[in-house]
Amino acid sequence: MAGVQAAVTERPRVAAPRRFPWVQVLIVPTLLFLLVFFAVPYLNMVRMSFLLKPAEGPYLPQFTLANYARALFDPFNWKILRNTFWYSILTTVITLVLGYPIAYHLTQATPKRKRWLLVLIISPLLVSVVVRGFAWLILLGRVGLVNQFMQWAAGTELILIGTPEGIVVGLVHVFIPFMALSIAGSLQNISPDVVQAARSLGAGPWQRFWRVIWPLSLPGVLAGSVLVFVLAVSSYVIPIMLGASNVLVMPMLIVQTLLDTFNWPLGSALSMIFFGLTATILAVYLKLMGRSMRWTAP
Amino acid sequence: MKRRGGLLLTIVVALIYLFLLVPIVIVILSAFNSGNFLRFPPEGFSLRWFVKAAQTGPFVRSFEFSLRLAALVTVVTTILGTMAAIFTVRYSRRFRDMLRLAIVAPLQFPAILTGIALLIFFLATGIGTRGMRALFIGHTLVALPYVFLTVAAVLVGFDRSLEEAARSLGAGPLVAFWKITLPIVKGGVISGALFAFITSFDQFPISLLLVSVGNTPLPIQLFDYLRFSFDPAAAAVSTVSVLMSVAIVLLIDRLVGLHAITWTGHR
Repeated sequence: MAGVQAAVTERPRVAAPRRFPWVQVLIVPTLLFLLVFFAVPYLNMVRMSFLLKPAEGPYLPQFTLANYARALFDPFNWKILRNTFWYSILTTVITLVLGYPIAYHLTQATPKRKRWLLVLIISPLLVSVVVRGFAWLILLGRVGLVNQFMQWAAGTELILIGTPEGIVVGLVHVFIPFMALSIAGSLQNISPDVVQAARSLGAGPWQRFWRVIWPLSLPGVLAGSVLVFVLAVSSYVIPIMLGASNVLVMPMLIVQTLLDTFNWPLGSALSMIFFGLTATILAVYLKLMGRSMRWTAP
Repeated sequence: MKRRGGLLLTIVVALIYLFLLVPIVIVILSAFNSGNFLRFPPEGFSLRWFVKAAQTGPFVRSFEFSLRLAALVTVVTTILGTMAAIFTVRYSRRFRDMLRLAIVAPLQFPAILTGIALLIFFLATGIGTRGMRALFIGHTLVALPYVFLTVAAVLVGFDRSLEEAARSLGAGPLVAFWKITLPIVKGGVISGALFAFITSFDQFPISLLLVSVGNTPLPIQLFDYLRFSFDPAAAAVSTVSVLMSVAIVLLIDRLVGLHAITWTGHR
Protein backbone atom coordinates (compact mmCIF):
# COMPACT_ATOMS: atom_id res chain seq x y z
CA MET A 1 0.00 0.00 0.00
CA ALA A 2 3.01 2.26 0.32
CA GLY A 3 2.80 3.33 -3.29
CA VAL A 4 -0.80 4.33 -2.91
CA GLN A 5 0.09 6.75 -0.18
CA ALA A 6 2.62 8.37 -2.44
CA ALA A 7 0.09 8.62 -5.23
CA VAL A 8 -2.37 10.56 -3.13
CA THR A 9 0.11 13.35 -2.60
CA GLU A 10 0.56 13.93 -6.30
CA ARG A 11 -0.83 17.24 -7.47
CA PRO A 12 -3.67 17.09 -9.95
CA ARG A 13 -2.76 18.40 -13.37
CA VAL A 14 -6.03 20.26 -13.84
CA ALA A 15 -7.02 23.44 -12.03
CA ALA A 16 -9.47 23.10 -9.15
CA PRO A 17 -13.00 22.67 -10.49
CA ARG A 18 -15.93 24.79 -9.52
CA ARG A 19 -17.05 23.31 -6.27
CA PHE A 20 -20.57 22.24 -5.72
CA PRO A 21 -22.00 23.81 -2.59
CA TRP A 22 -21.61 22.08 0.76
CA VAL A 23 -18.66 20.12 -0.49
CA GLN A 24 -17.39 19.79 3.09
CA VAL A 25 -20.21 17.32 3.70
CA LEU A 26 -17.91 14.78 2.07
CA ILE A 27 -15.16 15.01 4.65
CA VAL A 28 -16.87 16.07 7.88
CA PRO A 29 -18.27 12.63 8.87
CA THR A 30 -14.86 10.97 8.50
CA LEU A 31 -13.06 13.69 10.45
CA LEU A 32 -15.67 13.60 13.21
CA PHE A 33 -15.36 9.83 13.42
CA LEU A 34 -11.55 10.04 13.65
CA LEU A 35 -11.76 12.78 16.26
CA VAL A 36 -14.18 10.94 18.54
CA PHE A 37 -12.94 7.37 18.14
CA PHE A 38 -9.26 7.83 17.42
CA ALA A 39 -7.86 11.13 18.71
CA VAL A 40 -9.94 11.24 21.89
CA PRO A 41 -9.23 7.61 22.95
CA TYR A 42 -5.49 8.09 22.47
CA LEU A 43 -5.52 11.38 24.37
CA ASN A 44 -7.54 9.67 27.05
CA MET A 45 -4.84 7.00 27.27
CA VAL A 46 -2.18 9.69 27.70
CA ARG A 47 -4.26 11.20 30.50
CA MET A 48 -4.85 7.78 32.04
CA SER A 49 -1.12 7.15 32.29
CA PHE A 50 -0.86 10.07 34.77
CA LEU A 51 -3.78 9.00 36.95
CA LEU A 52 -3.71 7.27 40.31
CA LYS A 53 -4.49 3.57 40.60
CA PRO A 54 -6.31 2.95 43.88
CA ALA A 55 -6.43 -0.46 45.55
CA GLU A 56 -10.10 -0.70 44.62
CA GLY A 57 -11.56 0.39 41.28
CA PRO A 58 -9.84 1.24 38.01
CA TYR A 59 -8.51 4.77 38.56
CA LEU A 60 -8.86 8.05 40.45
CA PRO A 61 -8.73 11.45 38.70
CA GLN A 62 -5.61 12.51 40.55
CA PHE A 63 -2.32 13.44 38.90
CA THR A 64 0.66 11.23 39.63
CA LEU A 65 3.93 10.12 38.07
CA ALA A 66 3.89 6.87 40.02
CA ASN A 67 2.90 4.75 37.00
CA TYR A 68 5.87 5.93 34.99
CA ALA A 69 8.19 5.49 37.95
CA ARG A 70 6.92 1.99 38.52
CA ALA A 71 7.20 1.08 34.83
CA LEU A 72 10.65 2.59 34.35
CA PHE A 73 12.29 1.28 37.50
CA ASP A 74 11.28 -2.30 36.92
CA PRO A 75 14.25 -4.09 35.29
CA PHE A 76 11.86 -6.80 34.09
CA ASN A 77 10.14 -4.28 31.78
CA TRP A 78 13.47 -3.25 30.32
CA LYS A 79 14.35 -6.86 29.62
CA ILE A 80 11.05 -7.35 27.78
CA LEU A 81 11.54 -4.10 25.88
CA ARG A 82 15.06 -5.10 24.84
CA ASN A 83 13.84 -8.52 23.66
CA THR A 84 10.93 -7.02 21.75
CA PHE A 85 13.13 -4.55 19.90
CA TRP A 86 15.80 -7.17 19.26
CA TYR A 87 13.35 -9.66 17.69
CA SER A 88 11.89 -6.85 15.61
CA ILE A 89 15.27 -5.66 14.34
CA LEU A 90 16.18 -9.25 13.42
CA THR A 91 12.84 -9.64 11.67
CA THR A 92 13.33 -6.41 9.75
CA VAL A 93 16.83 -7.34 8.57
CA ILE A 94 15.77 -10.84 7.47
CA THR A 95 12.66 -9.60 5.65
CA LEU A 96 14.87 -7.08 3.87
CA VAL A 97 17.28 -9.81 2.76
CA LEU A 98 14.43 -12.06 1.60
CA GLY A 99 12.12 -9.34 0.31
CA TYR A 100 14.66 -7.61 -1.91
CA PRO A 101 15.22 -10.50 -4.37
CA ILE A 102 11.45 -10.98 -4.68
CA ALA A 103 10.95 -7.29 -5.38
CA TYR A 104 13.77 -7.20 -7.92
CA HIS A 105 12.54 -10.32 -9.67
CA LEU A 106 9.00 -8.89 -9.73
CA THR A 107 10.02 -5.68 -11.46
CA GLN A 108 11.99 -7.63 -14.08
CA ALA A 109 9.07 -9.93 -14.96
CA THR A 110 6.90 -9.61 -18.03
CA PRO A 111 3.52 -7.91 -17.35
CA LYS A 112 1.63 -11.17 -17.61
CA ARG A 113 3.90 -13.00 -15.22
CA LYS A 114 4.01 -9.96 -12.92
CA ARG A 115 0.27 -10.24 -12.47
CA TRP A 116 0.58 -13.79 -11.16
CA LEU A 117 3.56 -12.98 -8.98
CA LEU A 118 1.54 -10.17 -7.38
CA VAL A 119 -1.25 -12.64 -6.63
CA LEU A 120 1.33 -14.89 -4.95
CA ILE A 121 2.71 -12.01 -2.87
CA ILE A 122 -0.57 -10.39 -1.88
CA SER A 123 -2.57 -13.56 -1.13
CA PRO A 124 -0.54 -14.43 1.98
CA LEU A 125 -0.80 -10.77 2.99
CA LEU A 126 -4.56 -11.07 3.23
CA VAL A 127 -4.60 -14.43 5.00
CA SER A 128 -5.51 -14.04 8.66
CA VAL A 129 -2.51 -13.83 10.92
CA VAL A 130 -4.05 -16.45 13.22
CA VAL A 131 -4.11 -18.90 10.32
CA ARG A 132 -0.47 -18.18 9.56
CA GLY A 133 0.51 -18.64 13.19
CA PHE A 134 -1.37 -21.92 13.13
CA ALA A 135 0.52 -22.96 9.99
CA TRP A 136 3.83 -22.48 11.77
CA LEU A 137 2.54 -24.37 14.80
CA ILE A 138 1.96 -27.33 12.48
CA LEU A 139 5.37 -26.93 10.84
CA LEU A 140 7.61 -26.17 13.79
CA GLY A 141 6.05 -28.29 16.55
CA ARG A 142 7.21 -31.64 17.94
CA VAL A 143 5.44 -33.65 15.23
CA GLY A 144 5.99 -30.89 12.69
CA LEU A 145 7.63 -31.27 9.34
CA VAL A 146 10.79 -29.40 10.32
CA ASN A 147 11.44 -31.58 13.36
CA GLN A 148 10.66 -34.77 11.43
CA PHE A 149 13.10 -33.74 8.76
CA MET A 150 15.82 -32.88 11.27
CA GLN A 151 15.44 -36.21 13.03
CA TRP A 152 15.62 -38.03 9.75
CA ALA A 153 18.52 -36.00 8.36
CA ALA A 154 20.62 -35.15 11.38
CA GLY A 155 19.18 -37.23 14.19
CA THR A 156 18.65 -34.17 16.38
CA GLU A 157 15.52 -32.45 17.58
CA LEU A 158 14.62 -29.02 16.32
CA ILE A 159 11.55 -27.64 17.99
CA LEU A 160 11.23 -23.92 17.44
CA ILE A 161 7.87 -23.46 19.14
CA GLY A 162 8.40 -21.60 22.38
CA THR A 163 11.68 -20.01 21.29
CA PRO A 164 12.50 -16.50 20.05
CA GLU A 165 13.78 -18.04 16.81
CA GLY A 166 10.34 -19.53 16.16
CA ILE A 167 8.74 -16.13 16.68
CA VAL A 168 11.17 -14.48 14.28
CA VAL A 169 10.43 -17.14 11.62
CA GLY A 170 6.71 -16.45 11.97
CA LEU A 171 7.15 -12.68 11.88
CA VAL A 172 9.41 -12.84 8.83
CA HIS A 173 6.80 -14.92 7.06
CA VAL A 174 4.08 -12.40 7.85
CA PHE A 175 6.07 -9.31 6.86
CA ILE A 176 7.95 -10.33 3.69
CA PRO A 177 5.11 -9.12 1.41
CA PHE A 178 5.12 -5.66 3.03
CA MET A 179 8.85 -5.32 2.51
CA ALA A 180 8.81 -6.72 -1.03
CA LEU A 181 6.00 -4.39 -2.15
CA SER A 182 7.69 -1.31 -0.66
CA ILE A 183 10.98 -2.09 -2.38
CA ALA A 184 9.27 -2.97 -5.65
CA GLY A 185 7.61 0.46 -5.58
CA SER A 186 11.05 2.07 -5.60
CA LEU A 187 12.65 -0.32 -8.08
CA GLN A 188 9.78 0.25 -10.45
CA ASN A 189 10.70 3.93 -10.67
CA ILE A 190 14.28 3.33 -11.78
CA SER A 191 14.53 4.13 -15.44
CA PRO A 192 16.03 1.27 -17.48
CA ASP A 193 18.06 3.95 -19.28
CA VAL A 194 20.11 4.61 -16.16
CA VAL A 195 21.03 0.95 -15.85
CA GLN A 196 21.74 0.81 -19.57
CA ALA A 197 24.00 3.85 -19.29
CA ALA A 198 25.97 2.19 -16.50
CA ARG A 199 26.31 -0.91 -18.64
CA SER A 200 27.55 1.01 -21.65
CA LEU A 201 30.09 2.74 -19.40
CA GLY A 202 31.49 -0.69 -18.64
CA ALA A 203 29.90 -1.50 -15.27
CA GLY A 204 29.52 -5.23 -14.63
CA PRO A 205 26.33 -6.70 -13.16
CA TRP A 206 27.68 -6.51 -9.63
CA GLN A 207 28.74 -2.89 -10.00
CA ARG A 208 25.47 -1.99 -11.72
CA PHE A 209 23.62 -3.34 -8.75
CA TRP A 210 25.66 -1.80 -5.94
CA ARG A 211 26.43 1.53 -7.59
CA VAL A 212 23.15 2.19 -9.41
CA ILE A 213 20.19 0.03 -8.47
CA TRP A 214 20.74 -0.33 -4.72
CA PRO A 215 21.21 3.41 -4.01
CA LEU A 216 18.18 4.27 -6.12
CA SER A 217 16.05 1.70 -4.30
CA LEU A 218 16.95 3.03 -0.84
CA PRO A 219 13.69 5.00 -0.42
CA GLY A 220 11.76 1.75 -0.78
CA VAL A 221 14.13 -0.06 1.57
CA LEU A 222 13.68 2.74 4.07
CA ALA A 223 9.88 2.76 3.83
CA GLY A 224 9.72 -1.03 3.97
CA SER A 225 12.00 -1.38 6.96
CA VAL A 226 10.18 1.30 8.94
CA LEU A 227 6.84 -0.35 8.16
CA VAL A 228 8.04 -3.85 9.07
CA PHE A 229 9.75 -2.68 12.25
CA VAL A 230 6.63 -0.88 13.48
CA LEU A 231 4.42 -3.87 12.64
CA ALA A 232 6.87 -6.35 14.18
CA VAL A 233 7.30 -4.38 17.40
CA SER A 234 3.54 -4.24 17.92
CA SER A 235 2.68 -7.76 16.82
CA TYR A 236 0.83 -9.81 19.36
CA VAL A 237 -0.65 -12.89 17.72
CA ILE A 238 2.51 -14.49 16.33
CA PRO A 239 4.54 -14.08 19.56
CA ILE A 240 1.73 -15.45 21.70
CA MET A 241 1.07 -18.41 19.39
CA LEU A 242 4.64 -19.35 18.54
CA GLY A 243 6.13 -18.27 21.87
CA ALA A 244 3.88 -20.80 23.64
CA SER A 245 3.97 -18.59 26.79
CA ASN A 246 7.74 -19.09 27.09
CA VAL A 247 8.56 -15.82 25.43
CA LEU A 248 7.11 -12.47 26.43
CA VAL A 249 7.03 -9.36 24.26
CA MET A 250 5.90 -5.86 25.15
CA PRO A 251 2.40 -5.92 23.57
CA MET A 252 1.67 -9.12 25.54
CA LEU A 253 2.88 -7.49 28.77
CA ILE A 254 0.70 -4.42 28.15
CA VAL A 255 -2.38 -6.49 27.37
CA GLN A 256 -1.78 -8.59 30.50
CA THR A 257 -1.46 -5.47 32.65
CA LEU A 258 -4.74 -4.17 31.29
CA LEU A 259 -6.89 -7.27 31.04
CA ASP A 260 -5.54 -9.55 33.76
CA THR A 261 -4.57 -7.11 36.49
CA PHE A 262 -6.99 -4.33 35.41
CA ASN A 263 -4.32 -1.72 35.97
CA TRP A 264 -5.31 0.83 33.34
CA PRO A 265 -2.96 3.62 34.49
CA LEU A 266 0.09 1.34 34.54
CA GLY A 267 -0.89 -0.26 31.23
CA SER A 268 -1.27 3.20 29.69
CA ALA A 269 2.10 4.31 31.04
CA LEU A 270 3.74 1.18 29.62
CA SER A 271 2.07 1.90 26.27
CA MET A 272 3.41 5.46 26.28
CA ILE A 273 6.95 4.34 27.10
CA PHE A 274 6.78 1.67 24.44
CA PHE A 275 5.47 4.18 21.95
CA GLY A 276 8.14 6.74 22.79
CA LEU A 277 11.01 4.24 22.52
CA THR A 278 9.76 2.90 19.19
CA ALA A 279 9.56 6.45 17.85
CA THR A 280 13.08 7.20 19.14
CA ILE A 281 14.57 4.13 17.49
CA LEU A 282 12.87 5.05 14.22
CA ALA A 283 14.12 8.64 14.44
CA VAL A 284 17.71 7.46 14.94
CA TYR A 285 17.36 4.99 12.08
CA LEU A 286 15.92 7.59 9.72
CA LYS A 287 18.72 9.99 10.60
CA LEU A 288 21.39 7.36 9.94
CA MET A 289 19.74 6.31 6.69
CA GLY A 290 19.41 9.93 5.61
CA ARG A 291 23.15 10.32 6.09
CA SER A 292 24.04 7.16 4.19
CA MET A 293 21.66 8.14 1.40
CA ARG A 294 23.56 11.39 1.03
CA TRP A 295 26.79 9.39 0.71
CA THR A 296 25.49 7.26 -2.07
CA ALA A 297 23.78 10.11 -3.87
CA PRO A 298 25.44 10.83 -7.20
CA MET B 1 28.00 -14.62 -16.46
CA LYS B 2 24.68 -12.84 -16.85
CA ARG B 3 22.87 -16.14 -17.50
CA ARG B 4 24.29 -17.74 -14.38
CA GLY B 5 23.37 -14.71 -12.27
CA GLY B 6 19.83 -14.81 -13.64
CA LEU B 7 19.46 -18.50 -12.89
CA LEU B 8 20.75 -18.05 -9.35
CA LEU B 9 18.27 -15.22 -8.75
CA THR B 10 15.42 -17.36 -10.07
CA ILE B 11 16.32 -20.22 -7.73
CA VAL B 12 16.65 -17.93 -4.71
CA VAL B 13 13.36 -16.24 -5.52
CA ALA B 14 11.60 -19.59 -6.01
CA LEU B 15 12.81 -20.69 -2.56
CA ILE B 16 11.51 -17.50 -0.96
CA TYR B 17 8.13 -17.98 -2.64
CA LEU B 18 8.09 -21.53 -1.30
CA PHE B 19 8.78 -20.22 2.19
CA LEU B 20 5.90 -17.77 1.72
CA LEU B 21 3.36 -20.24 0.37
CA VAL B 22 4.19 -23.67 1.81
CA PRO B 23 2.84 -22.97 5.33
CA ILE B 24 -0.50 -21.91 3.91
CA VAL B 25 -0.67 -24.93 1.62
CA ILE B 26 0.14 -27.18 4.56
CA VAL B 27 -2.80 -25.82 6.54
CA ILE B 28 -5.08 -26.57 3.60
CA LEU B 29 -3.72 -30.08 3.14
CA SER B 30 -4.03 -30.78 6.87
CA ALA B 31 -7.71 -29.96 6.69
CA PHE B 32 -8.32 -32.91 4.34
CA ASN B 33 -6.59 -35.31 6.69
CA SER B 34 -8.64 -38.40 7.51
CA GLY B 35 -6.67 -39.16 10.69
CA ASN B 36 -7.54 -38.05 14.19
CA PHE B 37 -4.60 -35.76 14.71
CA LEU B 38 -2.97 -32.84 13.01
CA ARG B 39 -0.08 -34.57 11.40
CA PHE B 40 1.89 -34.01 8.32
CA PRO B 41 1.97 -35.77 5.90
CA PRO B 42 -1.79 -36.52 6.24
CA GLU B 43 -2.91 -40.10 6.72
CA GLY B 44 -5.56 -40.06 4.00
CA PHE B 45 -8.12 -37.91 2.25
CA SER B 46 -11.39 -37.02 3.91
CA LEU B 47 -13.83 -34.16 4.35
CA ARG B 48 -14.80 -35.23 7.85
CA TRP B 49 -13.08 -32.28 9.54
CA PHE B 50 -15.01 -29.80 7.41
CA VAL B 51 -18.19 -31.54 8.50
CA LYS B 52 -17.04 -31.41 12.11
CA ALA B 53 -16.20 -27.70 11.88
CA ALA B 54 -19.61 -26.99 10.31
CA GLN B 55 -21.25 -28.82 13.22
CA THR B 56 -19.26 -26.99 15.88
CA GLY B 57 -21.61 -24.32 17.21
CA PRO B 58 -19.04 -21.70 18.23
CA PHE B 59 -17.37 -21.80 14.81
CA VAL B 60 -20.66 -21.43 12.95
CA ARG B 61 -21.84 -18.62 15.20
CA SER B 62 -18.60 -16.66 15.00
CA PHE B 63 -18.41 -17.18 11.25
CA GLU B 64 -21.86 -15.65 10.89
CA PHE B 65 -20.99 -12.89 13.32
CA SER B 66 -17.80 -12.02 11.45
CA LEU B 67 -19.67 -11.96 8.14
CA ARG B 68 -22.32 -9.61 9.52
CA LEU B 69 -19.75 -7.36 11.17
CA ALA B 70 -17.54 -7.24 8.07
CA ALA B 71 -20.56 -6.48 5.86
CA LEU B 72 -21.60 -3.57 8.05
CA VAL B 73 -18.04 -2.24 8.26
CA THR B 74 -17.69 -2.56 4.49
CA VAL B 75 -20.84 -0.57 3.74
CA VAL B 76 -19.98 2.25 6.13
CA THR B 77 -16.27 2.51 5.27
CA THR B 78 -16.94 2.37 1.54
CA ILE B 79 -19.32 5.32 1.73
CA LEU B 80 -17.21 7.37 4.16
CA GLY B 81 -13.89 6.48 2.52
CA THR B 82 -15.08 7.26 -1.00
CA MET B 83 -16.50 10.60 0.09
CA ALA B 84 -13.31 11.47 1.94
CA ALA B 85 -11.14 10.47 -1.01
CA ILE B 86 -13.19 12.60 -3.42
CA PHE B 87 -12.91 15.59 -1.14
CA THR B 88 -9.19 15.14 -0.52
CA VAL B 89 -8.19 14.60 -4.14
CA ARG B 90 -10.60 17.10 -5.70
CA TYR B 91 -11.44 19.87 -3.34
CA SER B 92 -8.71 20.24 -0.78
CA ARG B 93 -5.67 22.28 -1.61
CA ARG B 94 -3.80 23.53 1.41
CA PHE B 95 -4.87 20.76 3.76
CA ARG B 96 -4.50 17.85 1.39
CA ASP B 97 -1.41 16.31 2.98
CA MET B 98 -2.77 16.89 6.46
CA LEU B 99 -6.06 15.20 5.57
CA ARG B 100 -4.29 12.24 4.05
CA LEU B 101 -2.10 11.85 7.13
CA ALA B 102 -5.10 12.09 9.44
CA ILE B 103 -7.17 9.52 7.58
CA VAL B 104 -4.29 7.07 7.19
CA ALA B 105 -3.13 7.56 10.80
CA PRO B 106 -5.01 4.51 12.19
CA LEU B 107 -2.78 2.35 9.99
CA GLN B 108 0.40 3.93 11.35
CA PHE B 109 -0.52 3.37 14.98
CA PRO B 110 -0.05 -0.16 16.35
CA ALA B 111 -3.46 -1.83 16.17
CA ILE B 112 -3.00 -3.39 19.58
CA LEU B 113 -2.49 0.04 21.17
CA THR B 114 -5.50 1.42 19.29
CA GLY B 115 -7.49 -1.49 20.69
CA ILE B 116 -6.33 -0.70 24.21
CA ALA B 117 -7.08 3.01 23.82
CA LEU B 118 -10.55 2.21 22.52
CA LEU B 119 -11.22 -0.32 25.29
CA ILE B 120 -10.30 2.15 28.04
CA PHE B 121 -12.32 4.85 26.28
CA PHE B 122 -15.43 2.66 25.91
CA LEU B 123 -15.27 1.46 29.49
CA ALA B 124 -14.53 4.90 30.94
CA THR B 125 -17.34 6.60 29.02
CA GLY B 126 -19.86 3.89 29.73
CA ILE B 127 -20.37 3.13 26.04
CA GLY B 128 -19.23 -0.36 26.90
CA THR B 129 -18.22 -3.18 24.59
CA ARG B 130 -21.46 -5.14 24.55
CA GLY B 131 -23.05 -6.07 21.26
CA MET B 132 -21.43 -5.21 18.00
CA ARG B 133 -20.88 -1.49 18.34
CA ALA B 134 -17.40 -1.46 19.90
CA LEU B 135 -16.09 -3.95 17.37
CA PHE B 136 -17.83 -2.05 14.59
CA ILE B 137 -16.14 1.22 15.57
CA GLY B 138 -12.71 -0.40 15.97
CA HIS B 139 -12.89 -2.21 12.64
CA THR B 140 -14.18 0.89 10.85
CA LEU B 141 -11.17 2.81 12.10
CA VAL B 142 -8.64 0.43 10.53
CA ALA B 143 -10.63 -0.45 7.39
CA LEU B 144 -11.44 3.12 6.36
CA PRO B 145 -7.85 4.02 5.31
CA TYR B 146 -7.79 1.16 2.79
CA VAL B 147 -10.94 2.39 1.04
CA PHE B 148 -9.61 5.92 1.12
CA LEU B 149 -6.23 4.97 -0.35
CA THR B 150 -7.63 2.73 -3.07
CA VAL B 151 -10.26 5.22 -4.24
CA ALA B 152 -7.84 8.14 -4.02
CA ALA B 153 -5.31 6.24 -6.14
CA VAL B 154 -7.90 5.76 -8.87
CA LEU B 155 -9.11 9.36 -8.64
CA VAL B 156 -5.61 10.79 -8.98
CA GLY B 157 -5.23 9.05 -12.32
CA PHE B 158 -8.70 10.11 -13.46
CA ASP B 159 -9.04 12.29 -16.55
CA ARG B 160 -11.01 15.33 -15.43
CA SER B 161 -11.84 16.50 -18.94
CA LEU B 162 -14.49 13.77 -19.28
CA GLU B 163 -16.38 15.15 -16.36
CA GLU B 164 -15.93 18.71 -17.57
CA ALA B 165 -17.32 17.71 -20.96
CA ALA B 166 -20.44 16.40 -19.24
CA ARG B 167 -20.71 19.61 -17.24
CA SER B 168 -20.39 21.78 -20.33
CA LEU B 169 -23.11 19.71 -21.97
CA GLY B 170 -25.41 20.78 -19.16
CA ALA B 171 -25.11 18.06 -16.54
CA GLY B 172 -25.25 19.22 -12.92
CA PRO B 173 -22.33 18.32 -10.65
CA LEU B 174 -24.16 15.39 -9.06
CA VAL B 175 -25.37 14.02 -12.39
CA ALA B 176 -21.87 14.33 -13.86
CA PHE B 177 -20.49 12.49 -10.86
CA TRP B 178 -23.10 9.74 -11.01
CA LYS B 179 -22.98 9.21 -14.77
CA ILE B 180 -19.29 9.80 -15.54
CA THR B 181 -17.03 9.72 -12.50
CA LEU B 182 -18.53 6.86 -10.56
CA PRO B 183 -18.58 4.33 -13.42
CA ILE B 184 -14.90 5.05 -14.06
CA VAL B 185 -13.74 4.85 -10.44
CA LYS B 186 -16.08 1.94 -9.74
CA GLY B 187 -13.22 -0.57 -9.81
CA GLY B 188 -11.35 1.41 -7.18
CA VAL B 189 -14.41 1.68 -4.97
CA ILE B 190 -15.17 -2.04 -5.18
CA SER B 191 -11.54 -2.94 -4.52
CA GLY B 192 -11.54 -0.65 -1.52
CA ALA B 193 -14.73 -2.32 -0.29
CA LEU B 194 -13.18 -5.78 -0.68
CA PHE B 195 -10.10 -4.61 1.22
CA ALA B 196 -12.29 -3.23 3.99
CA PHE B 197 -14.20 -6.49 4.14
CA ILE B 198 -11.15 -8.68 4.52
CA THR B 199 -9.51 -6.24 6.96
CA SER B 200 -12.52 -6.57 9.21
CA PHE B 201 -13.01 -10.30 8.65
CA ASP B 202 -9.38 -11.11 9.52
CA GLN B 203 -8.92 -8.44 12.18
CA PHE B 204 -7.29 -9.77 15.33
CA PRO B 205 -5.65 -7.28 17.74
CA ILE B 206 -8.54 -4.84 17.91
CA SER B 207 -11.10 -7.63 18.16
CA LEU B 208 -9.15 -9.28 20.95
CA LEU B 209 -9.59 -6.23 23.15
CA LEU B 210 -13.12 -5.25 22.17
CA VAL B 211 -14.71 -8.68 22.09
CA SER B 212 -17.64 -9.30 24.41
CA VAL B 213 -19.49 -12.40 25.56
CA GLY B 214 -21.56 -13.91 22.76
CA ASN B 215 -19.99 -11.73 20.07
CA THR B 216 -16.82 -13.51 19.04
CA PRO B 217 -15.35 -12.87 15.60
CA LEU B 218 -13.95 -15.90 13.80
CA PRO B 219 -10.20 -15.19 14.23
CA ILE B 220 -10.66 -14.85 17.99
CA GLN B 221 -12.72 -18.04 18.07
CA LEU B 222 -10.05 -19.90 16.13
CA PHE B 223 -7.35 -18.55 18.42
CA ASP B 224 -9.25 -19.65 21.54
CA TYR B 225 -9.93 -23.05 20.02
CA LEU B 226 -6.24 -23.59 19.24
CA ARG B 227 -5.32 -22.92 22.84
CA PHE B 228 -7.11 -26.03 24.02
CA SER B 229 -7.42 -28.32 21.04
CA PHE B 230 -5.15 -28.82 18.14
CA ASP B 231 -7.03 -30.83 15.56
CA PRO B 232 -7.78 -30.73 11.83
CA ALA B 233 -11.12 -28.98 12.45
CA ALA B 234 -9.11 -25.80 13.05
CA ALA B 235 -7.36 -26.42 9.75
CA ALA B 236 -10.75 -26.77 8.04
CA VAL B 237 -11.88 -23.39 9.42
CA SER B 238 -8.55 -21.87 8.38
CA THR B 239 -8.95 -23.28 4.89
CA VAL B 240 -12.29 -21.54 4.46
CA SER B 241 -10.71 -18.29 5.62
CA VAL B 242 -7.73 -18.70 3.26
CA LEU B 243 -10.02 -19.39 0.31
CA MET B 244 -11.96 -16.21 1.04
CA SER B 245 -8.77 -14.17 1.05
CA VAL B 246 -7.53 -15.68 -2.19
CA ALA B 247 -10.92 -15.11 -3.81
CA ILE B 248 -10.74 -11.45 -2.83
CA VAL B 249 -7.22 -11.07 -4.20
CA LEU B 250 -8.31 -12.58 -7.53
CA LEU B 251 -11.38 -10.33 -7.62
CA ILE B 252 -9.31 -7.20 -7.04
CA ASP B 253 -6.88 -8.40 -9.71
CA ARG B 254 -9.80 -8.69 -12.14
CA LEU B 255 -11.35 -5.35 -11.22
CA VAL B 256 -8.49 -2.89 -11.14
CA GLY B 257 -5.38 -5.07 -11.23
CA LEU B 258 -3.25 -5.59 -8.14
CA HIS B 259 -0.95 -3.01 -9.66
CA ALA B 260 -3.38 -0.28 -8.78
CA ILE B 261 -3.24 -1.05 -5.10
CA THR B 262 0.50 -1.54 -4.74
CA TRP B 263 2.06 1.26 -6.68
CA THR B 264 0.36 3.54 -9.13
CA GLY B 265 1.11 5.34 -12.31
CA HIS B 266 3.75 2.98 -13.69
CA ARG B 267 1.81 0.39 -15.57
